[in-house]
Amino acid sequence: MATISVQGQDPVVEMNGLDKLWSLKSRLTIPLARVRGATLDPGILGKPKGIRAPGTHLPGVITAGTFHQDGEKVLWAVRDAQKAVVVELADEHYTRLVVEVDDPRAVVAMVEQATSR
Amino acid sequence: MDEAVEAAADLFARRAYDGVSIDDLVTRLGVHRNSLYGVFGSKRGLYLAALRRHVEQDVRPHLARAAQPEHMPAWDFLLVAAVDRAPDDPEVAGLVSAVLAEVDEATGDPRATEVLLGRWLRGRPDALRHGEAESEVPTIREAPETVPGKEI
Repeated sequence: MATISVQGQDPVVEMNGLDKLWSLKSRLTIPLARVRGATLDPGILGKPKGIRAPGTHLPGVITAGTFHQDGEKVLWAVRDAQKAVVVELADEHYTRLVVEVDDPRAVVAMVEQATSR
Repeated sequence: MDEAVEAAADLFARRAYDGVSIDDLVTRLGVHRNSLYGVFGSKRGLYLAALRRHVEQDVRPHLARAAQPEHMPAWDFLLVAAVDRAPDDPEVAGLVSAVLAEVDEATGDPRATEVLLGRWLRGRPDALRHGEAESEVPTIREAPETVPGKEI
């Protein structure tokens, strides 16, 4: 599970509990200008994710860590597909983040509000 | 990508925003999921691109006909957006308001715009019945035109 909040004006992604360990990340601050959008996407978990390095992948249980696919680098931290939010980034270390959050609709609305301001 | 945006507009015109999943879009548009995110940034980004395209291609070129008394506009996406997304999305609200102001200008009277919108709304039940008879998914686009000659 991750928590996404807006601090100042920039979105901050924090990994909670053991997800810090699995994904090898604890906290990411992303400049608002580099956030292109957020989308609730439960279907993304079942799709090919590319090559994982480093991180943890127990299919059906947890997908966490950095995955490389088609030249893109994606940070995953998802157990429950129904709560998966995709955050698309521009000119960042990661092309996108796919993270599980507690209230995906609220998180998507918050990111959209912050980015369209 | 223009074809993908057109296909998205078609889908968004027939279902509420929350009822369209990324799986639906990927399947219908025939694009890779990563490309969809890479090009549009988010579902909302694609929605806005599709709505702008609809306004430019399906609405603005036909504003002159809005004043015709029996005209039924094929502006489903615009009107669904007004009901479904405008209350939640300031950008959608701004675009819908701007287009309705243009319709006012074309009809010369805001009340004529309201009559036009009312006529479209009253045609909805018929459009649904018609759509169910034609295909599995009810399609608003297949609504019978009250004026001869399709406006697409």
